[in-house]
Amino acid sequence: MQYIFSSNFTKLLENLKNDYEIYIPVKKGEQRFYKKYIDFTDDIVIGEVRAFEPLKSFFFRAREIVAENFKSDIPHTIQKPFCIVGVKACDLKGFKIQNYVFMNQDYQDPFYIKMCENNLIISIDCTLAIGTCFCLALNVKPYPQENFDINLSMVGEGFIVEVGSQKGQNLVEKYSFLFEEEKKEFISQRDQQREKVIKAVEKNIRENKIPYQDSFKGIIERGYESNIWADEANNCVECGACNTICPTCHCFLLYDQKDENRMARLRIWDSCMIKDYAQVAGGANPRPELWMRLRNRFEKKFDFFPKVANLYACTGCGRCISACPAKIDIRKILNRLVNNA
Amino acid sequence: MHKIKNPYRPIKAEITEVISETPTIKTIKIEPKEPITFETGQFVELTIPGIGEAPFTPSSRPAMKGIMELTVMRVGKVTEKIHELKKGDIVGVRGPFGRGYPIDKFKGKEILVVGGGCGFAPLRSLMYELFDRSGEFKKLFFRGGCKTPQELLYRSEIDDWAKRKDLDIKLTVDKGDSGWEGNVGVVTTILGDLDMDYESGIAIVCGPPVMMKFSTKKLLDMGFREENVYLSMEKNMSCGIGKCGHCRLGIYYACKDGPVFSYDKVKDFSNIWE
Repeated sequence: MQYIFSSNFTKLLENLKNDYEIYIPVKKGEQRFYKKYIDFTDDIVIGEVRAFEPLKSFFFRAREIVAENFKSDIPHTIQKPFCIVGVKACDLKGFKIQNYVFMNQDYQDPFYIKMCENNLIISIDCTLAIGTCFCLALNVKPYPQENFDINLSMVGEGFIVEVGSQKGQNLVEKYSFLFEEEKKEFISQRDQQREKVIKAVEKNIRENKIPYQDSFKGIIERGYESNIWADEANNCVECGACNTICPTCHCFLLYDQKDENRMARLRIWDSCMIKDYAQVAGGANPRPELWMRLRNRFEKKFDFFPKVANLYACTGCGRCISACPAKIDIRKILNRLVNNA
Repeated sequence: MHKIKNPYRPIKAEITEVISETPTIKTIKIEPKEPITFETGQFVELTIPGIGEAPFTPSSRPAMKGIMELTVMRVGKVTEKIHELKKGDIVGVRGPFGRGYPIDKFKGKEILVVGGGCGFAPLRSLMYELFDRSGEFKKLFFRGGCKTPQELLYRSEIDDWAKRKDLDIKLTVDKGDSGWEGNVGVVTTILGDLDMDYESGIAIVCGPPVMMKFSTKKLLDMGFREENVYLSMEKNMSCGIGKCGHCRLGIYYACKDGPVFSYDKVKDFSNIWE
């Protein structure tokens, strides 16, 4: 493995600016947000914990034009591919679900593919856990193990660099003058740091009585007629925040707009919690009640995805817990489902 | 990198004729400017430029080239606009999407087609396909019902169907009038006593949810096998390629895995009739 000093990492970013549009996390108050990288400003925090917004927002845009005036071309163009720095392991799992939906199914989505094309993912180990983190329950470690180009582990005055793809390998070779051989003691320092974060996440899981995914099999079928859904949906205000903030949610709404001489078809993120989501024009609605839609959201994540893609569509990032104005808590619902309470 | 066609782009199509079927149902004929072929039971998304799109299973003969017919009931924002269309207007069309009726599996079999109300639309396309390949099947049955004789779709065509030797046809209405000589009652009242072997036969049902529900129950009671009862599931199909999420039905998306499903595939999912 390689090592890069922080000062050289800044140089690396300066070089990458030529080929990529770089986004990097910055800290504002208690939150971290991705910001376009221009200079290495003081507010940049590459490590710590996942950003406020999910990684999907770079590739599956919240709102984009997908057709214009019957033209056959694909309207959206970006100047440079994205380089996203400081991506956390939970978001890489979300990426996996998005890739399954938009790339690996019977039909491919040209917009998503275009946005992902030639991008560069520079991930990093979490250096702390916040109270809502429970990635380990979903078998996601708080440090990236797959789906990155290069991964960083903050040690000493810089980062241990792990290569995760050919693209990452090419990068390290191209800028080899910025990297050096890592020192043996760095690995044990890294492992200690990782162990510290694992302990923190384990503490979260213990204190919130969150079940591990080994116990998830069949929870939706078993709990289908349970009153858990009505109980938990009681305070829901149908805002859809849980869906939009979720790194695995992929649903979208197609809608058309026109002005005098132009018509455009757009897609925007949609939410299965909204009443008319599955309603047909004739008025029939398979899920007229909020609790049915809450159950459906869990069914999609914990029954549909494991059946079709062999993956639970939850990353343990905890974003939906923080986003919900009604304090609906996925940790509590999973606990109730597993324990049939 | 691979070049993928834009699945969200509608193809331009011109309205060549508008036929009023009933006060709330019209059939529009469209001529797509790029060739579209479909299998009976597949659906397309029809775009009203700038307004939006809605899914329809063509009601026309799949073998007919160049023109596609869509029979549309006025029920919402898009269909309201479709009803205002005139000859020469431009619309958009995407598709076809999904899986239609697996006609090849029906070879050598007796086929019962059960239709209700506007469910006649996709079934008209199916019937023409079955007629075109009539020699491949043992016998065809059609049982159809609607609320009143005025709401019976394609009446003059159905009169022609009644003359066919390869088809046994019977119709019913919930409420008759002075000119109605056929059966009165819901469609399940004319499903019994068919001269066919239910155990090996194929049944195809399309209509409003409640009609599909009770017809399916009746067919299973009669002895049809679950895997031989084909249903057209009306879900909120939008993208057509299993991405937008709206039409999920258990582990399937109606838009890419359906809209035609055999009953055994969907029977365990909740709310399939809604």
